[in-house]
Amino acid sequence: FIMVSPDMRFHVIIAAVFWFGFVDSRKIKGISSSYKRFYRQRKSFLCIHGSKIIPFEQVNDDYCDCDDGSDEPGTSACPRGRFYCTNLGFRPHYIPSSRVNDGICDCCDASDEYNSHAHCQNTCWNLGQRERAYVAGQMRTLDEGLQLKQQLIEEGLLLWRENRELQQVAEDLQIKLEEHRRKKHKADRLKEQTLKGLQAGDSSLFKRQNSTVISTFQLLDSNNDGSITVDEVQAKVALVHDEERVLSEDEAVALLGGGDQMDLTKFQHTLWDILTKGDSVKVNYGPDWEFLFLNSQCYKLNVYGYTYTLCPFNQVTQKSTAGTEVSLGRWGMWAATPKHQYSQMVYENGEPCWQGGSRSTTVTLTCGTETALLSVKEPSKCQYIMDFQTPVACQPVLKQRGIHSEL
Amino acid sequence: MAPVLMLWLVMSLSGTWAVDKGNFKTCDQSAFCKRQRALKPGESPYRALLETMELTSTRLTLQLINDNNKVHLLLELYRLQGNITRVKINELKPLKPRYEVPDVLIREPSTEPLSLLSQDENGVVLSLGSESQRVIVSARPFRLDIMEGRDVLMSLNSRGLLAFEQLRMRKDTPLFSIHILTQWMISIFKAKEEEEKVEDGMWEETFKSHSDSKPNGPSAISLDFSLPGVEHVYGIPEHADTLRLKTTDNGDPYRLYNLDVFQYELYNPMALYGAVPVMLAHNAQRTTGIFWLNAAETWVDISSNTTVFGKMLDYVQGSSETPQTDVRWISESGIIDVFIMLGPTPKDVFSQYASLTGTQSFPPEAAVGYHQCRWNYNDQEDVTSVDAGFDEHNIPYDYIWLDIEHTDGKRYFTWDPHKFATPKEMLQGLMDKKRKMVAIVDPHIKVDSNYKIHNEIRNRAFYIKNKDGGDYEGWCWPGSAGYPDFTRADMRDWWASMFAYDQYEGSMENLYTWNDMNEPSVFNGPEVTMHKDAVHGAWEHRDVHNLYGFYVQMATAQGLIRRSGGVERPFVLTRAFFAGSQRYGAVWTGDNAAEWDHLKISIPMCLSLGLVGISFCGADVGGFFKSPSTELLVRWYQTGAYQPFFRAHAHLDTPRREPWLFGPENTALIREAVRQRYTLLPYWYQQFYHSHRTGQPIMRPLWVEYPQDPATFALDDEFLIGRDLLVHPVTEEGARGVTAYLPGKDEVWFDVHTFQKHNGAQNLYIPVTISSIPVFQRGGSIIPRKSRVRRSSTCMMQDPYTLYVALNPQRTAEGELYIDDGHTFNYEKKEFIHRKLFFANNMLSSENLAPDAQFSTRSWFERIVILGASKPSKVTLKTADGQESQLEFDFDASMSVLTLRKPSMNAGLDWNVMLQ
Repeated sequence: FIMVSPDMRFHVIIAAVFWFGFVDSRKIKGISSSYKRFYRQRKSFLCIHGSKIIPFEQVNDDYCDCDDGSDEPGTSACPRGRFYCTNLGFRPHYIPSSRVNDGICDCCDASDEYNSHAHCQNTCWNLGQRERAYVAGQMRTLDEGLQLKQQLIEEGLLLWRENRELQQVAEDLQIKLEEHRRKKHKADRLKEQTLKGLQAGDSSLFKRQNSTVISTFQLLDSNNDGSITVDEVQAKVALVHDEERVLSEDEAVALLGGGDQMDLTKFQHTLWDILTKGDSVKVNYGPDWEFLFLNSQCYKLNVYGYTYTLCPFNQVTQKSTAGTEVSLGRWGMWAATPKHQYSQMVYENGEPCWQGGSRSTTVTLTCGTETALLSVKEPSKCQYIMDFQTPVACQPVLKQRGIHSEL
Repeated sequence: MAPVLMLWLVMSLSGTWAVDKGNFKTCDQSAFCKRQRALKPGESPYRALLETMELTSTRLTLQLINDNNKVHLLLELYRLQGNITRVKINELKPLKPRYEVPDVLIREPSTEPLSLLSQDENGVVLSLGSESQRVIVSARPFRLDIMEGRDVLMSLNSRGLLAFEQLRMRKDTPLFSIHILTQWMISIFKAKEEEEKVEDGMWEETFKSHSDSKPNGPSAISLDFSLPGVEHVYGIPEHADTLRLKTTDNGDPYRLYNLDVFQYELYNPMALYGAVPVMLAHNAQRTTGIFWLNAAETWVDISSNTTVFGKMLDYVQGSSETPQTDVRWISESGIIDVFIMLGPTPKDVFSQYASLTGTQSFPPEAAVGYHQCRWNYNDQEDVTSVDAGFDEHNIPYDYIWLDIEHTDGKRYFTWDPHKFATPKEMLQGLMDKKRKMVAIVDPHIKVDSNYKIHNEIRNRAFYIKNKDGGDYEGWCWPGSAGYPDFTRADMRDWWASMFAYDQYEGSMENLYTWNDMNEPSVFNGPEVTMHKDAVHGAWEHRDVHNLYGFYVQMATAQGLIRRSGGVERPFVLTRAFFAGSQRYGAVWTGDNAAEWDHLKISIPMCLSLGLVGISFCGADVGGFFKSPSTELLVRWYQTGAYQPFFRAHAHLDTPRREPWLFGPENTALIREAVRQRYTLLPYWYQQFYHSHRTGQPIMRPLWVEYPQDPATFALDDEFLIGRDLLVHPVTEEGARGVTAYLPGKDEVWFDVHTFQKHNGAQNLYIPVTISSIPVFQRGGSIIPRKSRVRRSSTCMMQDPYTLYVALNPQRTAEGELYIDDGHTFNYEKKEFIHRKLFFANNMLSSENLAPDAQFSTRSWFERIVILGASKPSKVTLKTADGQESQLEFDFDASMSVLTLRKPSMNAGLDWNVMLQ
């Protein structure tokens, strides 16, 4: 047991205060708190990767001694160095050493321009506030988006069920639309001609396709009353395997989705797909079929005098003010990172380009409360990129990741 | 039926292998070239009339007569300061004045007295000054021989190819006026003596669907030059060909006629975008130059007695014949005005040429950095994101460029109202990062009555006129376009005023200019250019064609200077050029392609330009047309980083190729190439200063520094930057190694990356990987670098230097350091630091080369690296105030590299460092 006189105790306290004060004054510029341990020794400094030992005075003395740049975290001396912006109130981050004292404010706390002519303000608090507001907004959007997503999934499923049932019926029956096949063949030839016409700039892909839906509908609608009935289906649709076998009444009813008639709109969204594409339901609409509702929708955006139209899972087009419409690609596939399997759509084989190849569009999906086309760009000739926002792109995982924790 | 079929076959054949060439004339398709080339060497019909000789203190004149047609010519002979002889030949009494090129010479050259040494009925001998140099004028036939001692340096008309198509009246010209009538009578009088044949193409000429009305008839000129002892000639750019010019006996002559050539072919003599009618002749004893001052379409024939059917014969010593190169120049109009630069060293020729046409303009330092261009960055957002991409990937750049799409409907001086709605905001954003922008301003002006520029030019009658007197209109990017008459000083003055900040809306001081299409390019014109019978005041376009681009850049540079009140240096890039264009900015080699051969040809193309004064040269990095493989793109960055003008550019139809789009490894390779450029900026900038002061090329063929070493004479896959850096870029696909020739019998070269020392006068095989850029520093040199590579050159202004001292076998070295503010003309007011650094007797010191100059810098020396050193026991720094201090150092014995740590003295002061 050692007696400590009050007087001595006072000295100990003074010494401690002095020591802390000393450490503070020798604060190493440009390092994060997790790196402080490397700079604790006061006599010599070991380059972090271990290549060299130098006197401690040579740390941050504006001369690069260590190959790894670790002796100059606070100056621009090392080509491979980095400077830590503490950025209190915002997000801390590293900048390359070459941005220290280069006359440009990089850290929001202005710490990188401690010896330059730049008059940097500490903007971290404002940035932080803005960021927090932004993140809060994002979270609200995500919440709303996820709710909307549920509704849209249900809507889509409803459509899917109808489609699916019809598809089932069609598959079971293995039907074919004899006359339609012939028509389609004709239409394909027409398409070739139209494409040529398009180059001359006098026709429209969109119109043509609509008219084919209508013409098929009209073909089935023998009495032209605007709806297809059981009789009419029986008259035009045949079973594939039994050459001449006509559909039974029950089979026809099933094809009409359980009713005894079908109008053009319903036809367009159900039977038409099945009769023409057959495989439309095979498209991957996401794990919860959440993208299904986009199937029959189109979204437009005007950019620099062009109208861009994205019809998901179908096609992308561009229409100039002069009125010519050009295909920027037809539905190709999902192309995405392993993390986000459904974040990008690729549309390929659009209108051919002057120097070879054809137009294509990559659509990036982001979470939002509305479904809308946000932007279109053409960074290289014939290669388009679109930002497309929709609630169904909202992922609950995003919510779990702690965005707040960084602030 | 048969003839029709034959015709069809011929047409389809030519269609398959001459698609591009078919748009441009061969000599045979150019009437005057065909006419002149038909004239073969022989006895000249010209005779000097010695009795007409007049010798004043500044010149000799005498008349020449063509004995065939009795037309008199007037010969003027001048001895110019600096060992230059000028020979002018014009018609004694031309029907109307013939065009003499103005504005290219920086001043009327100063003359020196010619003295008569001897004279008899065969000729006269004149002294060209001290060194036993004289010119012999022989009378019958007329020829000129320039001699030194007993050696003939150059002979003119020795092959009898002097030709001068005198202006004449058309035989069937209707009479309009008394004036013409008198002239007509004179011509009848003359015609009695003449027996002139009227050939096709003399009074009218057609090419494809274009007709040239030729109201003045034939007016071509031609002259031959013989160069005894010469086997190597260079220059006469712009051609996509080897550095050493080839003989032209078996094909077309080299053509000089500024043309917009779509997807040009390599290794042929076809004309390209620019023309500098200057040729250099070199052998181990002497270098001379010929400057043919003529702006009309010109063809240059080269033949050699050591080359037969295009193959070089080994010249056997003791053979009866000395090697000789014969050159012949043919131009469509104007006069013969030729400057014979007598060297004798390459440097003398460069100084002589610079004394006539001026030196390379001194660019803002930032322009020596890296330029990022593309046709097109689509909108402001695109610009912002590319700018951010450079920061994200930590690649420096100084200028981002906007091609034609940035304008409002190809109306230059305007911005697309949607895509570039707030240009000042964009420019301010770049300025905040200490970066700059270049926007294109082409000389074709959209014919549109709602376009201010067009209205002003039309109202002021500044447009070039067509042959019928209306404004000339041609088809170019905006559709129908007019072409301002840049040959008019008042037009250029007005054009320059359009760059004022209040005229050029949306412009700011960090916006600079690019003049493209200034050959001029006319999509629907003959050979994609202007009709030769278009009218520039008193002259035809025929007379001034090759000058047009020169004037466009001149006026634009003037505009950029004026907008700053004469304070700031301009930066203007041009595609078309002429002799003297070096005074106004940079040139690039036009629309090349993403092919390995195009990468290779960038070296001889820029070397050839450098030889004729235009140092600020570069090729589109990556290639303009087509899309480069990643390997080609990387190699191109590595090559471009070591060429004077360093800009990546790409065609609208190619995929994006910003440096970070090819995976992290390639991004790193490109980053490293660009960083090497930036570390060397102090050396580059000093080279530009030197070139501006002296006219010496920056990018040099090896023979310029090693003129006596024949092994260097034809090298064009490697080059020097200044004297001290030798670069042999890798330009072969999949290369595992390159063989570089290191010149200099008693020299050593240090690999700048490994510091390994190599002896000179050897072919060195260098194994390479994809990251290799073989660069060597000459032993005996000192090169300043800045090792802190930042976002842009401007961010590096105040940074410290590292000196690389490479010792020669004598253990000496010297170099220079030049520092100024980097962007103003204040250097002309002696605001700069220029120091000589030298190492001898184990002491490195800095000496003021310009004691009368004043400038201060914050820059200091952070490191001195001495290559080829031995280990000292101590190193002492002594500064100007007499203070001495010991320096820490590190010695690498394996490479003999001594590194002095942080000497810290200011870059502008006197000091020395002693090794003991």
